[in-house]
Amino acid sequence: MPERIRHAPLDKEKVKSARGEIHLLKDECKGCGYCIEFCPKKVLEESDEINARGVHPPKIVDESKCIVCGFCTAVCPDFAIFVVEKPNKGGS
Amino acid sequence: MAENKESEPKQDPIRIGVYVCHCGLNIAGSVDCAEVAKFAATLPHVALAQDNRYTCSDQGQAGIKKDIKENKLNRVVVASCSPRLHEPTFRKACEEAGLNKYLFEMANIREHCSWVHLYDREAATEKAKDLVKMAVAKAALLEPAQEVEVPITRKALVIGGGVAGIQAALDLADTGYKVYLVEKEPSIGGMMARIDKTFPTMDCSICILAPKMSDAGHHPNIELSTNSEVVEVKGHIGNFHVKVLKRPRYVIKDCSACGECAKVCPVIAPNEFDVGLAIRHAIYTPFAQAVPSTYIVDMNLCLNKEGVIVCDKCIKACERQAINFEMKPETEGLEVGTIIVATGADVFDPSGLPYYGYGRFPNVITSLEFERLINAGGPSGGHLIRLSDQQIPKRVAFIQCVGSRSDRNGRLYCSNVCCMNTIKDSLLIKEHWPDTEIYVFYVDIRAYGKGFEDLYKRARKAGVIFIRGLPAEIVEDKKTHNVWLIGENTLQKKLYKINVDMAILSIGLEARRDSEVIQRLLTLSRNQDGFFLEAHPKLRPVDAATGGVFFAGCAESPKDIKDSVTQASAAAARAGILMAKGKVTVEAITPIAYAEKCKACGLCVKVCPYNAITLNEDLKRVEIIEAACGGCGTCSAECNFGALTQKHFTDEQIIAQIDAVTEHDAEKKIVAFCCNWCSYAGADFAGVSRMQYPPNVRIIRTMCSGRVAPKFVERAFARGAATVLVTGCHLGDCHYINANYQTQKRVERLWKKMEQNGLNKERLQLLWASAAEGERFASKIREMKPMVEGVKPEEIDKAKKVFEKALGGS
Repeated sequence: MPERIRHAPLDKEKVKSARGEIHLLKDECKGCGYCIEFCPKKVLEESDEINARGVHPPKIVDESKCIVCGFCTAVCPDFAIFVVEKPNKGGS
Repeated sequence: MAENKESEPKQDPIRIGVYVCHCGLNIAGSVDCAEVAKFAATLPHVALAQDNRYTCSDQGQAGIKKDIKENKLNRVVVASCSPRLHEPTFRKACEEAGLNKYLFEMANIREHCSWVHLYDREAATEKAKDLVKMAVAKAALLEPAQEVEVPITRKALVIGGGVAGIQAALDLADTGYKVYLVEKEPSIGGMMARIDKTFPTMDCSICILAPKMSDAGHHPNIELSTNSEVVEVKGHIGNFHVKVLKRPRYVIKDCSACGECAKVCPVIAPNEFDVGLAIRHAIYTPFAQAVPSTYIVDMNLCLNKEGVIVCDKCIKACERQAINFEMKPETEGLEVGTIIVATGADVFDPSGLPYYGYGRFPNVITSLEFERLINAGGPSGGHLIRLSDQQIPKRVAFIQCVGSRSDRNGRLYCSNVCCMNTIKDSLLIKEHWPDTEIYVFYVDIRAYGKGFEDLYKRARKAGVIFIRGLPAEIVEDKKTHNVWLIGENTLQKKLYKINVDMAILSIGLEARRDSEVIQRLLTLSRNQDGFFLEAHPKLRPVDAATGGVFFAGCAESPKDIKDSVTQASAAAARAGILMAKGKVTVEAITPIAYAEKCKACGLCVKVCPYNAITLNEDLKRVEIIEAACGGCGTCSAECNFGALTQKHFTDEQIIAQIDAVTEHDAEKKIVAFCCNWCSYAGADFAGVSRMQYPPNVRIIRTMCSGRVAPKFVERAFARGAATVLVTGCHLGDCHYINANYQTQKRVERLWKKMEQNGLNKERLQLLWASAAEGERFASKIREMKPMVEGVKPEEIDKAKKVFEKALGGS
């Protein structure tokens, strides 16, 4: 369908995608950066702080962008990140 | 296969019959036909010459047949309309009288003479004489030929799965032929699936379409490929080799369309099917009735890229394990005999018209968005709501001709469906919310079809207010988001300023923005509006000029559902005729190779667009594969040794035509070479449209401009022609794949030669003109007139000397 879309969807308020709560175990992080690199929504970024292992752990840029795909958990070699899905209704 | 050398010329003396047709007053109105016939009688080999009112009538044909038998005619020349119209008619008549149809020749004195020189009887008559002389000269050299029969693959390809494509596919499949239906979108259904109700009967659109979609999806004779595109078409009528690129859906057929996957998919985007008015997920089905119902993953949105599974929520949610991210695009090769093009149309994008504010004002929408809103299955559940506040509007305005019938803002043509669509829409609103005030701003209401006027009357009775005169501007009230329409009522000659809650732009249809792809693949022509051009506007309205290709639906011109379906059935019938016959005769215009002259240089092998010539290294000669030959003749033009010549367009025949043109007053004439498919048809179009141009041009028809050998041009100059015009299809649009690139090379070489010898290269002109560009052809001849008059006698003499070698032999 080649038409240009000029109006916002009417049901954009109704359709809510999953919202996540990201938990970082900062001191477990060894700073490999996989989670930052692979996050499809670019939710994470390298922070300036230095953790117990002497590296920069990630920080959360915008948690609302997280769609709980869980890939950060899957790629983290040190089990230093996990995401919990927040219930949608009470969430906002 | 090769060197099937024709027998020596017939022992019988050549007896040509010439028939000059009046075509009522179409020809006789500006050409003295009796005079032309009298002149024809004086030409060599002419045994009989007469003029008659309608040569194509039964009587006229019977006369020819009688003369062939009684007067022992062995060649026939008819001077009448374009051979593109009636050559088959007269060829058949000749055959019925026992004369080989290749012994017939036509002089086009209507489209190329009487119609384009309406007000110059003397010059038109002189030109007609010349054209007859050329035809007689060629006729004397004609040879009988036998046509090769090629079997037709009894399978059809339908490109486009809208209502036209579906209907054509179903008709063919029901007849018993295998049909491949290829659709670009994830589901078939096309535009009709998005419309709420149809006019004039107010039937529910998807309710009448869905059963057809389902039939097409399950028919044992139909192989449906969605999300697929045709990427290559080779071959010719009866034997097309097609490549179809099938993009993966990432969901296999086991999908039960339960929708659990979409529920968990975290990615959302506007649904194109609803013009963005509803949301879909990265894994989705465009609409509930989609065929196939299998879901599809939009890889531009999905988080999973290049085999890396980042998100597996849909995979986990799918009970039937139907989701497979490993799927790859596939290219499938198809062998088909006929092709139906049902690619549909796009809608006009009104965001380019700043004074209507579409895209800036939330309550200005298009008629397509309206269809989705009023549709019970649409994003608002069938409630017509204002996009600014989701309230039902009390006052609604429709604005007609948005993007249609305008030389400044949109397209020149009438889009055919918008008037009735608006009337239907206004009644729909009245049906749901009878108190709504509805205004329709129009230029003309075109309610021309069966039951259309009744619907128009019904709308007026229901209280819809029709105002003639489009608003000049739409202004938004910033607070309420209502819009003011400001313009002139041209019936009352009063200005109006009307406040409405919502304005609907009735947008027109336009040719698909990517029609060029199909155009190139199938070597089709398009008219100036961008729609595909039919072979004849009245008598072959669904045939393409390319054999074995047919049109259905809006690809050919904007039309409503009924007309699309009618045309689809017509196209299916036309394709069915070919396939029922099971074989097609290929015109005997393939080349003949003379082995004794062949030097095995291989130049012809290189220029052949069809790879139909092979070089036999052992025997030192070329061999021709007739079934593969397309009949362009560019090989014959390339051969420097006269070892190849195209049947029915031999060197001798074309040279005889050139000689006939240049016998008298050559210094005042343009010798033009036109290719059968584009420029000759373009010149015909100029005739049909009565575009007037100077009578100094004499057209020689070849199948392709690639047939025009440099020696033809040289010969014309050597015999004193003022100018030569070589014309062909636009580069890239050649009917013979790419043969016209050879034309360009040859003309450039000639230009160089002319420059080196101090000749004005302007005297050789090259023009690319399509079948729809009659005006382009006519204006070229007008433009060349001063050039012809400006050529000095010494320049003519100089050219004669430079090219005198071309006079020796042929």
